[in-house]
Amino acid sequence: MPQDPTAPESSAPLPRRGLERLDLLLLSAEALDLNGGEAMVWMSEQMGFTSLFPNRVELWKRRCTNPLRRTTRREALAPAETDALIRILCALADRLYPLLRGLLTSAEPPEVLSQRWALFRGRLTDLIRARMNPRRGGVQQLLDPESGARQARLLIQALALGAGVGGFERLRASLLDAQP
Amino acid sequence: MKQTLQYDQLSCRLKVEGLPDVSVGQSGDALGIITGWSLQWAGRPELEGRKEHLLALMQVVLPYARYLISGVPRRFGAEPQPVEIAPNPQGGHTLLLRSSQPDTPPLQLALDDAELADLVRVLDQLRLDPRLQLPLELPQPQPLRARDLLERRPLVQRLAAPVGGLLAVVVASGLGLLIPEPKPGAGPATRPAATQPAATPPAPAP
Repeated sequence: MPQDPTAPESSAPLPRRGLERLDLLLLSAEALDLNGGEAMVWMSEQMGFTSLFPNRVELWKRRCTNPLRRTTRREALAPAETDALIRILCALADRLYPLLRGLLTSAEPPEVLSQRWALFRGRLTDLIRARMNPRRGGVQQLLDPESGARQARLLIQALALGAGVGGFERLRASLLDAQP
Repeated sequence: MKQTLQYDQLSCRLKVEGLPDVSVGQSGDALGIITGWSLQWAGRPELEGRKEHLLALMQVVLPYARYLISGVPRRFGAEPQPVEIAPNPQGGHTLLLRSSQPDTPPLQLALDDAELADLVRVLDQLRLDPRLQLPLELPQPQPLRARDLLERRPLVQRLAAPVGGLLAVVVASGLGLLIPEPKPGAGPATRPAATQPAATPPAPAP
């Protein structure tokens, strides 16, 4: 996948909220694609990130810096590592764009849309229950039917607007947002 | 010599026509001068314009997408600008295009999230196309400040803390007013030793 030649190298590490969101976006990609975990490893190799993530365990360890995880790692991620993860995410979102579009469109009958959302939310909830710490407030909000649905839509919208090469800078800037 | 760049998504197709700028030595497949563009929407009127209109479209749609990705829907493009985009209160987004022709009312398009994503993708494809050898004055995406992010919280939630604090101060002041003030007449009785010698009249001279 080509990279945006105009995108400057990042020098700032992602804040805590950015790390949480990056992992949740990767988790959403996994919820959309049953083979998402494997696709992530394959994409990392294809994009030439084997020096940063030599194997799936290393990739997994980087994702475990999300403070919402059951087993969280305290080490800080280097900007080059977070940039690589964001590029992998943009490439995954580009591959999954038809599915993302199918969730966001209003041109389909409401019953079809609600079935799609129910399927996506079911898978996302399963992944969150399996991997995240249910005692954290952020995780409880994601599992809550009302606020969880709103957050799921924001995640899908962010993936759709960050898909592809052009989405990289937008997505990275959003992950570097200040803490409200 | 004439070049046409075309970008397709499910709901829209962007076509940009132009010529290579041979004065700066551009090759035949490059596009250095935009002569016109068109944006075709499924089931909607086709948009056409000059380079300035295309730039104006990119200058509002791409920053709007940048804010939206952070969950902050915000209006972009004020009155004199030819393009404006804003969140629709009923859901989706409203794209407003003001014509430079006099007596032509502005064209308003309602887009859903999928159509907006399609539009952003075609504009990204154009922006990053190596054949387009033309400097585009587009703002670089920047992280949002805490103040910008606060706007996405509902007003009631934002006001809860200051209003609660103010109420607490008012209640505390009210309770303070209920405590009776000490009476002025009771003062000397509490300090008999200090006041009694001054109160006794001086003895008369022999």
